[in-house]
Amino acid sequence: MKPHDHRYCSRRQILASASAGFGMLAMRAMGGMPLHNRARAKNIIFCFMDGGPSHVDTFDPKPMLKKQEGKAIGESAVTKRSQSNANRVWLGSPWEFKQRGQSGLWVSELFPHIAQVADKLCVVRSMVGELPLHGQQNLLLHTGRILGQAPSFGAWVSYGLGTENANLPGYVVLNNDWVPNGGLENFGSSFLPASHQATMFRAKGVPVDNIAPHDATAIQRRKLALLAEQDAVFAASTSDARAIEAAIANYETAFRMQSAVPAIADISAEPEHIRKLYGVDSTDEHQRFYATQALRARRLVEAGVRFVEITCPSFDGNNSPWDQHGHLKKNHEKNARITEQSVAALIIDLEQRGLLDETIVLWAGEMGRTPHTPKVTDTCGRDHHVNGYSIFMTGGGFRGGMTFGETDEFGNAVASNPVSIHDIHATLLHQMGVDHERLTFRHGGRDQRLTDVHGRVVGELIG
Amino acid sequence: MRHVLIACCLLSPLASGDDLFSSKIGPLLKQRCFECHSHEKKIKGGLALDSKSGWEEGGESGPAIVPGKPEASLLIQAVSHVEKDLKMPPKNMLPAAEIALLTEWVRQGAPDPRTAAPSTALNANNAWEVEFQKRLDWWSLKPMRPATTSSVDGFIQAAQKAAGLEMAPQASPEVLRRRLSFVLTGLPPSDASDTSNLPDYVDHLLASPHFGENFARHWMDVVRYTDTYGYEWDNPAKGSHEYRDYLIRAFNDDIGFDQLVREQLAGDLLPKPRIHPKAQTNESLIGPMFYHMGEHRHGSSLMFNGIHQEMVNNKIDAFSKAFLATTVACARCHDHKLEAVSQRDYYSLAAMFTTPRWTSRVVDAPGKNTVAIAQLQKLRQSIREHLAQLWSTPFSAASLQKWAAEHKDALKGIGAPLATPDDLPKKAAEWQKARETAQKANTAFKPVSFEKWVFEGEAFENGQIADGTPLIALEGENIVSRLLPRGWHSHALSSKLPASLRMPPQHLVPGKFVSLKLAGGEFGGHLVVDDHAFQNETVAFYTNTEPQWKSFADAVLKNGAQQVTIEFCTSSLNPNFPPRTGLAKGLKNNDFGYDKRSWISITDIVTHDTTGTPQDELDAFTALYQNNTATDPWERIAAWFNTVVQRWRAQQSQPGDCDVLNWLLANGLLPNKSTAGTQLVADYRRIETSIAFPRTVNSMDEREAMPVKYPLNVRGNVDTTGELIEPASLKMLHGEGITNRLALAESLVHPEHPLTARVYVNRVWQWIFGTGLVATPDDFGRLGDKPSHPELLDWLAREFIREGWSTKKLVRKLVLSATFRQDSRKASDVDPYNRLLSFYPTRRLEAESIRDALLAVSGRLDAQLYGRPILPFRTAEDGAKRLFTGPLDGNGRRSIYLQMSIMEPPKFLTGFNLPDLKLPTGRRDATNVPSQALMLLNDPFVSAMAKHWANKLAQEKQVSRQDRIRGMFSRAFGRQPDEAEMQRWSAALHDLGGDTPAAWEQLAHAFFNAKEFIYHR
Repeated sequence: MKPHDHRYCSRRQILASASAGFGMLAMRAMGGMPLHNRARAKNIIFCFMDGGPSHVDTFDPKPMLKKQEGKAIGESAVTKRSQSNANRVWLGSPWEFKQRGQSGLWVSELFPHIAQVADKLCVVRSMVGELPLHGQQNLLLHTGRILGQAPSFGAWVSYGLGTENANLPGYVVLNNDWVPNGGLENFGSSFLPASHQATMFRAKGVPVDNIAPHDATAIQRRKLALLAEQDAVFAASTSDARAIEAAIANYETAFRMQSAVPAIADISAEPEHIRKLYGVDSTDEHQRFYATQALRARRLVEAGVRFVEITCPSFDGNNSPWDQHGHLKKNHEKNARITEQSVAALIIDLEQRGLLDETIVLWAGEMGRTPHTPKVTDTCGRDHHVNGYSIFMTGGGFRGGMTFGETDEFGNAVASNPVSIHDIHATLLHQMGVDHERLTFRHGGRDQRLTDVHGRVVGELIG
Repeated sequence: MRHVLIACCLLSPLASGDDLFSSKIGPLLKQRCFECHSHEKKIKGGLALDSKSGWEEGGESGPAIVPGKPEASLLIQAVSHVEKDLKMPPKNMLPAAEIALLTEWVRQGAPDPRTAAPSTALNANNAWEVEFQKRLDWWSLKPMRPATTSSVDGFIQAAQKAAGLEMAPQASPEVLRRRLSFVLTGLPPSDASDTSNLPDYVDHLLASPHFGENFARHWMDVVRYTDTYGYEWDNPAKGSHEYRDYLIRAFNDDIGFDQLVREQLAGDLLPKPRIHPKAQTNESLIGPMFYHMGEHRHGSSLMFNGIHQEMVNNKIDAFSKAFLATTVACARCHDHKLEAVSQRDYYSLAAMFTTPRWTSRVVDAPGKNTVAIAQLQKLRQSIREHLAQLWSTPFSAASLQKWAAEHKDALKGIGAPLATPDDLPKKAAEWQKARETAQKANTAFKPVSFEKWVFEGEAFENGQIADGTPLIALEGENIVSRLLPRGWHSHALSSKLPASLRMPPQHLVPGKFVSLKLAGGEFGGHLVVDDHAFQNETVAFYTNTEPQWKSFADAVLKNGAQQVTIEFCTSSLNPNFPPRTGLAKGLKNNDFGYDKRSWISITDIVTHDTTGTPQDELDAFTALYQNNTATDPWERIAAWFNTVVQRWRAQQSQPGDCDVLNWLLANGLLPNKSTAGTQLVADYRRIETSIAFPRTVNSMDEREAMPVKYPLNVRGNVDTTGELIEPASLKMLHGEGITNRLALAESLVHPEHPLTARVYVNRVWQWIFGTGLVATPDDFGRLGDKPSHPELLDWLAREFIREGWSTKKLVRKLVLSATFRQDSRKASDVDPYNRLLSFYPTRRLEAESIRDALLAVSGRLDAQLYGRPILPFRTAEDGAKRLFTGPLDGNGRRSIYLQMSIMEPPKFLTGFNLPDLKLPTGRRDATNVPSQALMLLNDPFVSAMAKHWANKLAQEKQVSRQDRIRGMFSRAFGRQPDEAEMQRWSAALHDLGGDTPAAWEQLAHAFFNAKEFIYHR
């Protein structure tokens, strides 16, 4: 019988043996495994643009749209990967595009701050999804499957690489009590051990559930002392002393987390120029939330958290923040104002601290938006589109100031070098030193992977 | 372009034809493709490229090459890596030059001189057949061993002896008491329980209603129970809690598992459904809610290809794992890699499961409202007779003329022509002409035969009502609201009564259009369902009282969809009510759709081939213009009204009369109040109030359903459909002739079925001992575990069947064994995972038990059974997603009653390994993570329970500190403290503040944080 064969013992027992010794080394071993190849990056910060920012208004300029604005797109432009029909009309971008930096990378005026770090960005313009629907695409982006029912990317990274800090989780989602389409499963561990599911930090109020001690320290200490004695005797009377001892040890970790987590979340001591850089003191409440979370992302990465995800604040009760079926101009601008300064700040700040080399920043929505609309009006919008849309990565060995892949002259269909989310997952894991085909977990009759049976490392994106 | 250039350069010196093959293509195929596509190596996807006939016949996806047409050739598509699901070689694309070569070769007509058949002349089907036969040789597919006389302990001890182990001594009575209580009821033992006689105690626990709650919860993991459908709006899963309560009742009543299999798979098809006398429910009809569990997505096949297939996959996965511990879902894209399950098997099940309508059913016991309905009908008849008297005074021309003068244009409302006598013949001619035109036009509209139309719900099951049936006013001073024309009116007696009319598939109804004259309100409406989409958003709600025509054109069937049907229903029978937030105007987001009045009327149904709807034939004026001899216009109008009223009084109303009568009523020309009438109406209203709202559940309706053949998805790709597959069960279980769900269920509960009983007794073993005899309860296949005690497993399965598939008898047998009664201390390291059961394993409580124990020990537990889900406590709400918060302590109700929301399940439970609600989960994890310590230390729910307990303690007067601590030990751990513990906890109490309410609360909180609280031995 193999040791630690999960079929014969509960994961409780496995984890018990892993964390019984307690301390950083043991925690590093917890779930971690030897790397498959040289790691370029240690951490990932995923800026999740929930709802789908428009590619033809951000990183993929299409002058043809302006020229043909108002003209019917015709049957040939209809695809199952867009909400489309022949009678819809092309819609030009309300924003100017400019070439930026040394590289001349095109970024629209919607993102003035991100434009300033254009030379660092590795933009993929040819992302292809499966269905133009939020739930499916969110789950695909997060779990590698449109059905979900599988662990989140962050959970896989935490499982594969372990955490470097015993007092902090391996996967953190900086959120604001927001549940994205597809549900909390987007951040779950599914069949991986529960320790790899995301810990959620909210922007306002107590950052993490149950982190604020219910008792004064002295009282809690006294209770813990009582429990330590009581539990030790109990452990000895059972068949599973290791699990019970691990549970006891968790109380010590929990005790320390009560101070460690709020300390990481507390940005009050950050200097003025950093606060300003991120926009932490913005007059806009939502921008403040986002800036706070972006700054916390850097602090978490510094503290050894492997995977940090930042979600976008919802400002108008929309089903998802970037989902502008109407009011494209007004609300894309609002979303940009809330997020883009902080995203740029994060990149700049990571670099000035020498962290950008080992930290990947991934900026991605679950979809792009149609280059067409039912009717051109002042309040019109763009609908769901997964047939060629844009995301970017930076840091962690990704090449800067470049674009990869193309869409057609309308931005309506991928024209060259299609890239799937599986490919992005594979490439990101590769940069973390992990072969996506070898990061597996046996479940439901087979060895499951983040990339399912797909995925290739996109060599052109990495140095 | 680049490819072509290269190809030209390369090919120019070459002769075409066979030379090309022998010099270039043959070697290329051998080097690049034979590894997976030759008889020497493998024949993946059924395709062999080592002979000409190989690519001509092709594999699962059809011929690999269309000579002369590279763009139409799968082989070229595959090597070009254009289709995500068809990339060959899968990892590394061939060099561009080689692709160009292949393309050119195909363009030239794919000349292939190979004439010899490959060495082993096997085609792909034969290859699978051989493989299939090999795979049948597997323990779990073999017959169970014959029955023998033995016992659980006999088998266990024999295996222990062989390994040099022996049983641990019997656990102490306290330990056993707590163990039994948690294992059987999921709750800590009550102080009063008497355990001096173990069998009696076990019987006491088995008789407790909490046993059913606990075992229902176990089974709910297996069937992926959920109260909502997740995805974007977390819509309520209609009637899920009825299914949960059905399970609780079934386990408490010890309904045979064979019956539960029949009901969950095919309860709607049982010739004799099981009625629960106390709950007054049709239990069998609730069972198929099993299929509806899991996530439901918005959109439908017609809108997006793929939606339907995703959800079917979840159903097949749940069915095959829950009942057969077989991973059939692995065969969606290809024949199973390891098991005797073909891709064909997967699609046969898909066909079977998508044949019925996935819709709501009324699960009230038949006849529940029979008495009330009869009373209402009788009262309505009395009211009608009373009205007939009340309306016996004829209208006179003079009074009408006077009324008209006072009411100005009121008469115009009915369209009565206020003409001079001279005009009447002209008007009559106009009417006649218009009527004839309409009648002529209406010949294009054919009445439907109702052969294949399905009626559901008491309101429609009694058929159409007669013209002029009074709709009794349920409020206000009036006797009637209006008179109803002939047709189906769900609210004719009470708008609480459920109704649904389910149309056959559009393409089977004659004509290109079907039009119905419809009215409705309070979220009565229709939904258009393509391919039994499980969550269709094409819902419409009616807000018109006067019936109006609505036309439905036959939808264009695309995306592989095979049928589109329409259901016209009250909200109670609308499987997607409430729909996603925002779709039902006027419905609040926090309205989960319970106990709603709702109604629809259908007064006419026609089919036709051209657009448009039937024209009004002006029936209302028949009595004005036909056989009306009065010459004075007022006389004539009076005669018209009198004829219509007279006909109504004689119960001989004709089409159009109701329009006239309702106009007269609305204008106060017919009296609608009387002393006697008020009394009758009061009686009517009293009885109507006593009718309970219907209980409806998303279940199945296979009546008149179109048999479905499901298109095989080549490589699982929904856009590449292959052969249409007929319904059948798994071939490895001899399922070829099994074509419907009832036959499937019956095959499963056959006493010689190799899997059903084994899989279930193994689950029960795991629920009792923590690990199954097969440690992978959802997988009895090659990636699963093999049984630790195969003979015991078979013996238990045979005994289980012999004892009528009784769960309670099985459980009793297990917990009264010496094996179960062992101490939990391990004596040896010989068997590290305790597969030989030489001690009882220490087990962490499941999430629900931890929360329930907090409630029970603190005295907060509300032991009420059943009911609608209680919203979990949330720190933030999101109305658009229906994520609302509930009480911190869930009103003291057991965790099984908390709303299991896919989108955001109860946090306290997920913290302790509540499984993913979308997936069938036979075995839960029990991870050990710091967040659990944080929860128990700091969660406001835990502190609230500590406070509750301390308050209870404070009510017990005159109790010494030591006695109080003893009492707390007894409640929390089910035992008395020893000397050292007494000192330890007394000292802690002292340090925490002494004999003060605050200190006792701290102590209570410490009990909750002790490991002994969340583990049992």
